[in-house]
Amino acid sequence: MSQKTAITKKLICKRPTFRMLPLGFCSGCHYGIIYRLLDEVIEEMGIKGDAICIGGGGCSMIGAMAMDIDTFGGPHGPGTAIASALKRVSPNAFIFAVQGDGEQGAIGLGSFVATAARGENITVITMNNACYGMTGGQLAPTTLLGMVTPTTPEGREQVMSGYPMHGPELVAPLKGVAYAARGTVHTPANRQKSKKMLKTAFQKQQQQLGFGVFEFLSACPTNWKISPTDCIQFIEEKMLPEFPLGQFKNIERKE
Amino acid sequence: MAKKGEIIIEESFCKGCGLCELFCNKKSISMGKIGPGGFPIAQISDPETCNGCGTCGFMCPDMAIEVYKYVDGRSL
Repeated sequence: MSQKTAITKKLICKRPTFRMLPLGFCSGCHYGIIYRLLDEVIEEMGIKGDAICIGGGGCSMIGAMAMDIDTFGGPHGPGTAIASALKRVSPNAFIFAVQGDGEQGAIGLGSFVATAARGENITVITMNNACYGMTGGQLAPTTLLGMVTPTTPEGREQVMSGYPMHGPELVAPLKGVAYAARGTVHTPANRQKSKKMLKTAFQKQQQQLGFGVFEFLSACPTNWKISPTDCIQFIEEKMLPEFPLGQFKNIERKE
Repeated sequence: MAKKGEIIIEESFCKGCGLCELFCNKKSISMGKIGPGGFPIAQISDPETCNGCGTCGFMCPDMAIEVYKYVDGRSL
């Protein structure tokens, strides 16, 4: 009995076309997964030629430099202001700013909220790892209560440093905001959900509905001082109760 | 039982975080082999059980894993 047994190999998981590989992230950092997700979504939507990524300071810039699209760097903080300017001079380009949590919540909070209030037609991607990753894990606006960092050795207290900040919820009530959501990439299922939400956030800009913000929860094994596999548990048990997932605003058409 | 999938690990990219081992449903990957950097990296411990789902590849933060799925000509 001789039947045709033509077995072919099909590439399921392709390596993205980045300018420099391997990326300079620490072992177990989720930023690599997030940048891969961004690259996948941009490629699926067919906007690779138009997209411009605005990086700021901190670890989030490492991946922005590596992506195979046009990138623009700026100082730590006013990424959204640079993105607004770029959108105004080139309205047909697809502009998104990549920011860390400290960049968005502390030094760049003014330009972030102002850009949202103006309703600029850009998308902001936040990567929230609950500390300042590049400088040694100091207290960031999103650090959880009771979390030990080099600047809060006895854990964050509400009396001294206040409550954690929530970027998407903060700007969601503003009229110029078209989309505000939070996702995570700590499990394969959540990664697929985040991909769907990220695609929606990008589509809001293509439909010219207004400002979109999407926040990723991320792990920082080096500064949390736990292993990459324990970070998954930490996100599940500690971060998810503080930072709920899902969409906070999703408008279909402009008022 | 024929092989269903195959993964290729680029050893110079792997940083040994162990996320692929954690998320592999079939337990085909294990950490332990000492890589070129001098630390334990991922290796394929049981190539026969891999079904080519691609989870390890998509969850790898360093883009070290490429996943192939075998497609049988008869079943198409």
